[in-house]
Amino acid sequence: MTEATILHWAGALAAVIFLLAGLLVLRSRWANRKSGRYKVLAGWALIFAGFLIFSQVWSGELGTAFGLLAISAVAYALIAATVQRRTTGQRDRSDVALEPEQRPTNWPRAIGKSLLAIVLAGIASIGLGVAFAVSMPMDAPDRIVIGGILVPVLWGAGMAWTLSDPKLIRATIILVCLSAAGYGIAFLPKVLT
Amino acid sequence: MNIQIAKTTAKRRPFLPPNFVRAMLAGHSALGLAFAALIYIVCLSGTIVVFMFELQRWEQPTSPLIFQPASTAAIGTVTQQGYAQAVKDKGGHDLTILGPSWRDPRLSVHYHDHETGVEGSWLADADGNLVSRIKAPWTHFITDLHIHLHLPNTWGLFLVGLTGVALLSSIVSGVLSHPRIFKDAFAFRWGGSRRLQEADLHNRLSVWGLPFHIAVSVTGALLGLSTLVVGVLALAAYDGDSERAFAEVLGPRPSADETAAPIPDLPAMIRSIQERKPDAVFANANIQHIGKAGQIASVGMSTPGHLAFANAYNFDGNGKLLGDNGVEEGSIGKQILGALQPVHFGWFGGMPVKLLYGILGLALSVVTYTGVTIWLARRRDAGRPAPHWERIWTAVGWGQPLAIAGSIITGLLTASDALILTTYLLLTLATLGLSIIMKGTSAVSWVFKTGTAVLLTFAASTHIALWSDKATDPMALYVNVAIVACVAGIILTLRQKPIN
Repeated sequence: MTEATILHWAGALAAVIFLLAGLLVLRSRWANRKSGRYKVLAGWALIFAGFLIFSQVWSGELGTAFGLLAISAVAYALIAATVQRRTTGQRDRSDVALEPEQRPTNWPRAIGKSLLAIVLAGIASIGLGVAFAVSMPMDAPDRIVIGGILVPVLWGAGMAWTLSDPKLIRATIILVCLSAAGYGIAFLPKVLT
Repeated sequence: MNIQIAKTTAKRRPFLPPNFVRAMLAGHSALGLAFAALIYIVCLSGTIVVFMFELQRWEQPTSPLIFQPASTAAIGTVTQQGYAQAVKDKGGHDLTILGPSWRDPRLSVHYHDHETGVEGSWLADADGNLVSRIKAPWTHFITDLHIHLHLPNTWGLFLVGLTGVALLSSIVSGVLSHPRIFKDAFAFRWGGSRRLQEADLHNRLSVWGLPFHIAVSVTGALLGLSTLVVGVLALAAYDGDSERAFAEVLGPRPSADETAAPIPDLPAMIRSIQERKPDAVFANANIQHIGKAGQIASVGMSTPGHLAFANAYNFDGNGKLLGDNGVEEGSIGKQILGALQPVHFGWFGGMPVKLLYGILGLALSVVTYTGVTIWLARRRDAGRPAPHWERIWTAVGWGQPLAIAGSIITGLLTASDALILTTYLLLTLATLGLSIIMKGTSAVSWVFKTGTAVLLTFAASTHIALWSDKATDPMALYVNVAIVACVAGIILTLRQKPIN
């Protein structure tokens, strides 16, 4: 085993210990609301220190990715280690979750919602992403890649919003306006030349 | 006193208003139900595809393994021999060489002619001599299932991209419909009521896997939708020429000059890059329109500390450096582009990262599965049970592992792409059909879990019978052990007592 490998593994271990300590502090604070608020700060500070170690041992780019993976794995392990066994039928008040909104629905409405969430939100997000890729004052690869990333992000957000908004007309008007603005900006330079 | 009451009221005001949460929950349920099966298949196959290189080695455990960077002489030899083989097969249009790396310790050459449709892949030894064709039909099947669901390429890619968008949307609505996201962050209660148990499992796995879930859904959606987005971009700014739009981000494209020319001198190109970047190691090379005057050679060189697997240095047909793609040290857009594939598949930190991706991918599949079971349990609690849908969803959840396990056996025994796909489709249909006939969700679950365990055991046994006396690659053993571990995991879930 080379010196660099030993350093990497020692760094990873130290970083994981900091992440675990941070999560334990946060767990204690969130389980007991009466405990001091400083614990939240301390918990996040320890987690930040874990990320810092990852970044120092590898690089900012790789270290951040390793840190994000490690925090998920450490949290899963912590949850698995502290699982609470319930007997059949046992419930307490905190178990009761909110129920989804009950809405009157029918086939035309369901098809309308699907068209809004999948088709119109998609058209609008592609228009806005391409508008970004065409018109932002950046190098071509930057605006194309960032514009490309905007498409699934905006589409996903639009889908979530249209499916939760009970007012179909409002969602339709907003998405049509956004599409018009996006494609207008995207195709305007071509139309003008 | 009034101030105190006001303070208390302000403290008790929920972070997210209940009506907003209930509306988000309704949207989350609708979206989850519409896309659950697709998301589940894409997530489950994606979890397996993380280990694509290991599975290729398992299917062909006689490959020469090279645990050091390929020598420039070997790269020169593999280019010459690969091109000769490509011409012989009438597929000498584009040539790709993959060097041995921590990702895959094999040297291979791949050729493709999009006009004739001919393609081929060969493994080479440490000196660059071609030794055998690559034969990994089942890995090819599962990779295609994840990337385009075995549909026509463009439509399949789009549908998988749309599935990524739906997953991202579910993440957004899921977070916004979780008012106790911090309070319950570590609470995991097992037993009691099935709905509450599944809700805890769903919420804990999804909340703490958020960075991974967001990363794979955004990158997956972008990879799937890129053709559509670039098509619209090309209409707006590149006179409808998608190739020109792609060239802006992917580097120079070959010209149409089809005059015969010597193939690029890759060893000289590698040496010229290493003069400027001594720590750069050869990762791959791609030569478009090989052997023609308009050819472009892109030499991928890897340096430590980056998410991108390799930065491509582009040379024209005369060996003149045209520039690099900047995915390691270029602008933000170029670096994001270089990180897309490694971040999506977990190919940036060796086996530990792949194993974590495997766990988190499995967690995402469980989150998808439990999302629907919670909805079904809620219906049952409300006095509106849907027993047929409960059985069908169980058949999706456990029928897919069974169908995939069955396809492994066909792959090992026949090595036929068509038969592997047929096996998978028939088993998928059979599990869905059986779930309609059978009575009780527990029975459906038990039968398909047992079936999956039996088929996986048979797959590992078949592999041992076929390769035990010929295998030289230790990956044969490691993957068989992993399959046995999966069987043990399934048996553990069989021992679990069902709860209401």
